[in-house]
Amino acid sequence: MSGAQGSSRGAQRLGEVVDRNRTITFTFNGKKYKGLEGDTIISALTANGVKIVSRSWKYHRRRGVMSGNYHDPNCHFQVNDEPNVRGAHRRLEEGMVVSTQNVSPSLKFDIGAVNQKLSRFLTAGFYYKTFIKPERLWPTYEKVLQRFAGGGKVAATGHHVPADKRYAHPDVLVAGGGPSGMSAALSAADAGSNVLLVEEEYELGGFLRWGTADELAVAQSLREKVAAHPKITTLTNAVVAGRYDQNWVSVIERGLPVVMESLIKVRTATLVAAPGLIERPYVFEGNDLPGVMLSTAVLRLVNLYAVKPGERAVVFTGNDSGIAAAEALRGIGVDVVQVVDARHGGGLVRATSSRGVLSGVELSDGSKVLCDLLVVAAGWTAPTTLLNLSGNHPVFDEAGARFVPGPDLDDTVFATGGLVGDGTIDEILAHGAAVGRQASERATNGSVTTVAPAFSPDPHLPLFFGTTKGIVDFSEDVSSKDLLTAAHEGYNSVELLKRYTTATMGPAQGKLETINTVAVLASANGESIEETGTTVWRPPYVPITLGALAGRSYEPVRYSPMQAWHESHGGINIVAGQWMRPEHYGDAAKEVSTVRSGVGIIDVTPLGKFELKGTDVTKLLNLVYVNKWSKLEVGAVRYGVMCGEDGVIFDDGVTGHLSEDRYFMSTTSSGAAGVYAHLESWLQTGFPEWDVTITNVTSAYASINIAGPQSRELLSKLVSDVDLSNEAFPYMNLRTGTIAGVPGCHMWRIGFTGELSFEIHVPAGFGAYVWETLMEHGADFGITPFGLEAQRIMRLEKGHFIVGQDTDGVTQGFSAGIDWLIKLDKDDFIGKPELQWQHDSGAGFRLVGIHPNDPKQVPTEASQIVIDGIIQGRITSSRFSPTLNRSICLGLVVPALAVAGTVVPIRLPNGTIIQGTVMEHHASYDHEGAKLRG
Amino acid sequence: MSRNKPVKYSALGLFKRGLSGKEWPRVWRDVDLKKTYDVVIIGAGVHGLSTAYYLAKNHGVKNVAVVDRAYVGGGGSGRNTAILRSNYLTPEGVRFYDRSVDLYRHLAADLNFNVMFAPRGHLTLAHNDGALRTMRWRAEVNKVQGIDSEVIGPEEIKKLVPYMDVSDDTRYPILGALYHPPGGIIRHDAVNWGYARAADAMGVEIHQKTEVLGINTAGGKVTGVRTNRGDVSAPIVINCTAGWATLIADMAGVKLPIITHPLQAAVTEPVQMFLSSVVVSGSLHVYVSQTDRGELVFGASTDPYAAYSMRSSLEFTEELAGHVLELMPSISKMRVLRQWSGLCDITPDFSPIMGFTEVEGFLVDVGWGTYGFKAGPASGEAMAQLAATNKTPEIISAFDLARFEEGRLASERGAAAVGH
Repeated sequence: MSGAQGSSRGAQRLGEVVDRNRTITFTFNGKKYKGLEGDTIISALTANGVKIVSRSWKYHRRRGVMSGNYHDPNCHFQVNDEPNVRGAHRRLEEGMVVSTQNVSPSLKFDIGAVNQKLSRFLTAGFYYKTFIKPERLWPTYEKVLQRFAGGGKVAATGHHVPADKRYAHPDVLVAGGGPSGMSAALSAADAGSNVLLVEEEYELGGFLRWGTADELAVAQSLREKVAAHPKITTLTNAVVAGRYDQNWVSVIERGLPVVMESLIKVRTATLVAAPGLIERPYVFEGNDLPGVMLSTAVLRLVNLYAVKPGERAVVFTGNDSGIAAAEALRGIGVDVVQVVDARHGGGLVRATSSRGVLSGVELSDGSKVLCDLLVVAAGWTAPTTLLNLSGNHPVFDEAGARFVPGPDLDDTVFATGGLVGDGTIDEILAHGAAVGRQASERATNGSVTTVAPAFSPDPHLPLFFGTTKGIVDFSEDVSSKDLLTAAHEGYNSVELLKRYTTATMGPAQGKLETINTVAVLASANGESIEETGTTVWRPPYVPITLGALAGRSYEPVRYSPMQAWHESHGGINIVAGQWMRPEHYGDAAKEVSTVRSGVGIIDVTPLGKFELKGTDVTKLLNLVYVNKWSKLEVGAVRYGVMCGEDGVIFDDGVTGHLSEDRYFMSTTSSGAAGVYAHLESWLQTGFPEWDVTITNVTSAYASINIAGPQSRELLSKLVSDVDLSNEAFPYMNLRTGTIAGVPGCHMWRIGFTGELSFEIHVPAGFGAYVWETLMEHGADFGITPFGLEAQRIMRLEKGHFIVGQDTDGVTQGFSAGIDWLIKLDKDDFIGKPELQWQHDSGAGFRLVGIHPNDPKQVPTEASQIVIDGIIQGRITSSRFSPTLNRSICLGLVVPALAVAGTVVPIRLPNGTIIQGTVMEHHASYDHEGAKLRG
Repeated sequence: MSRNKPVKYSALGLFKRGLSGKEWPRVWRDVDLKKTYDVVIIGAGVHGLSTAYYLAKNHGVKNVAVVDRAYVGGGGSGRNTAILRSNYLTPEGVRFYDRSVDLYRHLAADLNFNVMFAPRGHLTLAHNDGALRTMRWRAEVNKVQGIDSEVIGPEEIKKLVPYMDVSDDTRYPILGALYHPPGGIIRHDAVNWGYARAADAMGVEIHQKTEVLGINTAGGKVTGVRTNRGDVSAPIVINCTAGWATLIADMAGVKLPIITHPLQAAVTEPVQMFLSSVVVSGSLHVYVSQTDRGELVFGASTDPYAAYSMRSSLEFTEELAGHVLELMPSISKMRVLRQWSGLCDITPDFSPIMGFTEVEGFLVDVGWGTYGFKAGPASGEAMAQLAATNKTPEIISAFDLARFEEGRLASERGAAAVGH
C-alpha cells in the first residue's frame, strides 16, 4: 500500500467512498498524516494504523474506535478551535489540526490514568462521600476534579459568524435516508406530497451502503429515483434534531461553507421517523479496550473506507451483522481466527490487553484466543427519540430484545424501518412505501386508508451484559459494577441511577448505553426490563451548536428619523431600552439653562404611541387608568397612571381625545411594549365584547417636544392653521394641524420639563425635515437641541417622577404622591382593591422631594436612608440643578419621615452619612405650574 | 421501628470499602407505608425533605412520611440550575435567603453528604443605566444588611469572566454588574439525596412512587391522605409540591392564588473550565454557569403561558443561544446537549406562601416560583418549626396565605424577574 493511503488501507471495495486519487494531509497530536478525500478523521487514522485515539473521561483509559459512527464516544477530538468534533463522522479536510482532548501531558502518557489504579475507591458518586470536611478545602478539591473534566477547549476570543436560519413547509418530512426512509419518501411523493428527506450521513442508503453487492445495487437504484423525483428535496449531512408541538421540527444542516451548520425550522404536516437502528455495545470485562469494535464500525471501516481495523480478528455475534463483518474482514485480508456465535451457544468472558490495547479474548468454553480485533455484534437499539418527543412512550419488545414505539403514536407521526421491525429488504421497502402513503394521506386528506404490512422485530438474543463486569457508558466511564453498587445503595430507579452515576448523561445521550443501563438495573432489582422502564429522551437528538441556534440576531436597535441629525450635531448616544437616543449634545447643564430661558427641542420619538378607536375606548381607559376618563372632551388631553392588579404603578402617560371614537395614547418609552400587551390582554381575555381597536403607531410618528418660554413663538412661525394662543389652545389640550407644510401633525400642550411646551407628533417620514426646520427658525431665539439628561434634570426640578426609577416593583399608587389622581369612587379599575387597602392602611413608602443640606452634595441614586440599622427609605433620583444651583432629589421614605422639614440621614455607597431635608413638594421649580399654563 | 443505621461517609470509609469491596448501606430505607404518621409531607423535593429533616433533627418529630408520586428530587429540585445567592431586594427576602445560603454553606458537614457548594461569585449584568441603578439599589440594600454585594464596572467583569465581551459596540453593551461573591452553585441532586438520607437515618420514611389521590378532612381539620398505596392518617399534612401545589391544595378544598408556568433550561456538552462565575443578565433573559464536569448550564425566564406540561420548545434554545453569544461570542461552536423543563408555582407578588390554611393541619410551603431551590434549607427549617410548634416563625411571617385577602404584599418582583 502506498504511504499516501495509509499502511492499513486495503484493496478497492465495491462501495468505498474515498477518492484514491486525492490525498489530504492533516496532523494528529502534532504528527503529520495522510488520508484520502472521503475519509473521516477516524478512517484516516485507522488507515494509518493509529489504534489509540483518546482517553476516557474519568479513568483516562486508552480508547479506540468503538461504534464508528457519529455517536462514538471514543472519537471526540479538538479540531482547530472546535471542541468535541465527532471524528467518526467529520470528513477530513486539508490541513486539519486534530488533537486528543483532555490528556495531560499526552495521549501516550496521560497522568490522569492514575485514576485506573484508584478505581476501586472512585466508584460512581464517590465524591458525594468525601471532601466533606474541612469545608474550606472543598474549593481546592473541586479544582482537582475540574481538571479531570473532559471535553475540548473553546477559544477565548472570536466572533459568532451568524448562520442564517431558514424555514421549510413540506407535506411530509422523512427523518432518515436508509431504505425504509427512501421508500417512504418516494411513495409519499408519488402520492403527490412535497417531501423533505433528511439523512445524517453524507449519502443516502443507510446500512445498505456497507452491504453486499445486491444491497449496494438497491441503494443505488433508490438514490437515483429519489434524486430524479421532482417532489423530493434531499438534505444529507443533516439531522432532524427535535420535534416539538404540532410537528414543529428542527433540522440541522452541517458542513456548510463559512458557518459550521445552520438551523432549518420545519413545519410539516406529517413526520416519518426512519432513523434505522443503532448497534448496542455488549458489557464484559475489557469491552472498552482499543481493538474492541461493534460489527457496524467494522463494516463501515472496511466497506466504506477499505481500511483494515486489525490483523487478527475474533468475532462475537448474536446476529447476522457479526457474520457480515467477518466476511468483510476476510475480504480485505484480515485473518478471522474465530467466530463465536451466541446463537449456537458461544460465549465471551473477557477481553485481555497488552500495553493498553486488545491482545486476546477468553471464551466461555475456557479457551483463550490471541487477537488484535474483537468484533462484537450483540444487538440493536431503536432510537425512539423523535417519537418520544411526539408524546409516545416506548415499550420493551421481549422477543426482539429492544424498545419499540408504543401504541400511543400521534396521528401525524409515523415510524418505519428498523425502528418498527426487521425484515428482508423487500419487506423493509414495502413497509416504508405503505407508511409513506399513509403520511401523504394524512398530510393531504386527513384520513388514512392504506394499511401497512405487519412488521415487527425478529427474535434476538437478549445480549446486554455477560458474566464479567465492563463499561456501560463509554462517554461517562460508568461500569456495570458502578451501576450495581449504586442500585444496591438505593439509587434503584432508572432516573435516580442516571443522576447518581451520570450514566446516559454524556454526549451520546443514551443512544448507545441506555438499554444496557436499564438491563443492569433490572438485574439488580430482580425486575424485568419492561418493569424497570427507560429514561425520557429529550431534544435535541444530536447536539447543536450555539451558533446555529442563535443564527442572526433580529433584535434591531431602534432609531428615530432624526438620529442622523443628532449624530452629526454632537449628540452622544445612550441606550434606552431598544432605542438609541442622544443623552446630550456636549453640555446638559447649558441645554437646561437655554430651555429655561429661551427654547429647546428634544426628540421624544421613543414614547409609546397608540391610536385607540371604537365606541368602548372610554371603558378601556377607565379600566386601565386609576383616574376618570368619561368626561374628557374632544380636543383635550389628560395625564393618567396605570397600576397592576397589585396596585403597583407600572406606567404613566398622556392620552388625548382626537374625535368622537378616536383617542391617542402615549406611554413611557420603555413601557410601550408592556402597555400594549397589557391592553390587548385585557381586551382579548377580559372584555372581548368591547369595541376597541388598538394600533401601535409608535414609529409611525416622529415626536418632538418644543420647550421653553419662547416655544409658542417658534411654533407659530411654522403653523398657520391652528391658533396657538393660550386662549384658543390652553394647557392640556391637543390640536391637529399643519407644521411647516406637513399636514396631519398632532400638537399637544403638555410638558415634562415644566416649561411652556408643545409636544408634536409628526408623520415619521417628515420628522427630520420638521426637526431641521425648527432648528432653522429657532436660530433667532438661540434654540438648543437637548437630550435625555437635560430632560431628566428639568423633570426632577419640576418634581415629575419616572416610573421604574422613582417607583419600583412594590410602589403602589398612593406611594407616588398621586392621591389626587386615584379615583376610588370609580366602579372598578385594575388595582382598585389593593389601592383601596393602601388608602385605608396608609402603608407603603412615600415619594418626597429631598434637598441635601449641603447644596453641593449630590447623593448617588440608590443611597439608603437608614435609621437604627433599619432601611427607612432611599434616594431614587438626584441631580445638581443648574437652575437652582443646588442638589435636588426625589426619594421614597416611610410615611413617618414624609413630613416637610424632616431631616433624614442619607448613607452614600462609601458609607458616609449626609443629611437631607424633606421638602413640601416634589417640585423644586414652579410648583404651581404657572409656566406650563402660560 | 427499623432504623437505617447511619454509616458515616468519609475518605477513610471510601478507602476501607474500596479495599474490602464491602458495599455501603442503602442511602435510605425502602419500607412499607404505615397507617398513621404524625406528619405527612407531600413532595420529596428539597422543601419536603428539608422540612422532614429539620422536624426530626430540631424538634424530635420523627414519625414522618415524605410521599412522592415519582422519585426523590424528580421535580423542580432536580431540574433547576442550582444557583444560590442572597442579594435580594426586600429586607424580608435578604434575611430569608441569607439564612438559606448560610445553611447551604454548612450543609455538607451537617448532612455528611458532599453537596458541592461552590461559592464562585455571582454577577448580575446591567445593560442600561436603569438596570445599573437597580443593581446599585440592590447593592446598597444588601450592604446595609451585611451582605457582600457591590456594583463593579466592565474591566472588573472582564477580569472575572475573561470570555465576556465587554466592548461597547455590542447590541446590549455591558455597563456594569452587581457582584455577589458568596453566590454560587451547588449539586442539586446531592442536596436532595443528602436530606433524604439524613432524615431517613433519624426515622423519617421516604416513600417514592406513592401518589396522593385525595386529602381527607373532617370538621375543618385534615385527617390524612389517600394514596395509590392506601389511606394514611395524620393530623398534619404539608403541601410541598411546587408546580402541582394548586392541584394538591384543591384536594383539601384550599384555593391558592398560584399560576403554574413552565421554566426551561438547557445544558451543553462539556468543555475545559473557562467560566468560574455565575453570570445573569436580566435584560437578555439568561443565566449561565459551568459545572465541575465542564458543561454550561443555562436558564431563562418562565414561559409566558400557564401549563402543567413539561415539554421543551425550540424557540427557547434559539433565544438563549442568541443571548449567550451576545455575552460570550467566542463560544459559538459549543453544542447544546439537552434541554428540559420544570414547573414553577408563581404567586401574584412573586413571594412564597408558607404556613396555615383554613383547613386546620393542612400546611403549605408553595408559591416558590423560580427560586424555590435557593430557599430549600431555610424554608424547611421554618416549616418544621411551624409544624412542630403550631406557631409561625418570624422569618416567614410576611409570607402567609392571608396576606392576599388583607392586601399585604411581600413583593420580590424587582429582584425575581430572571433573578437567578
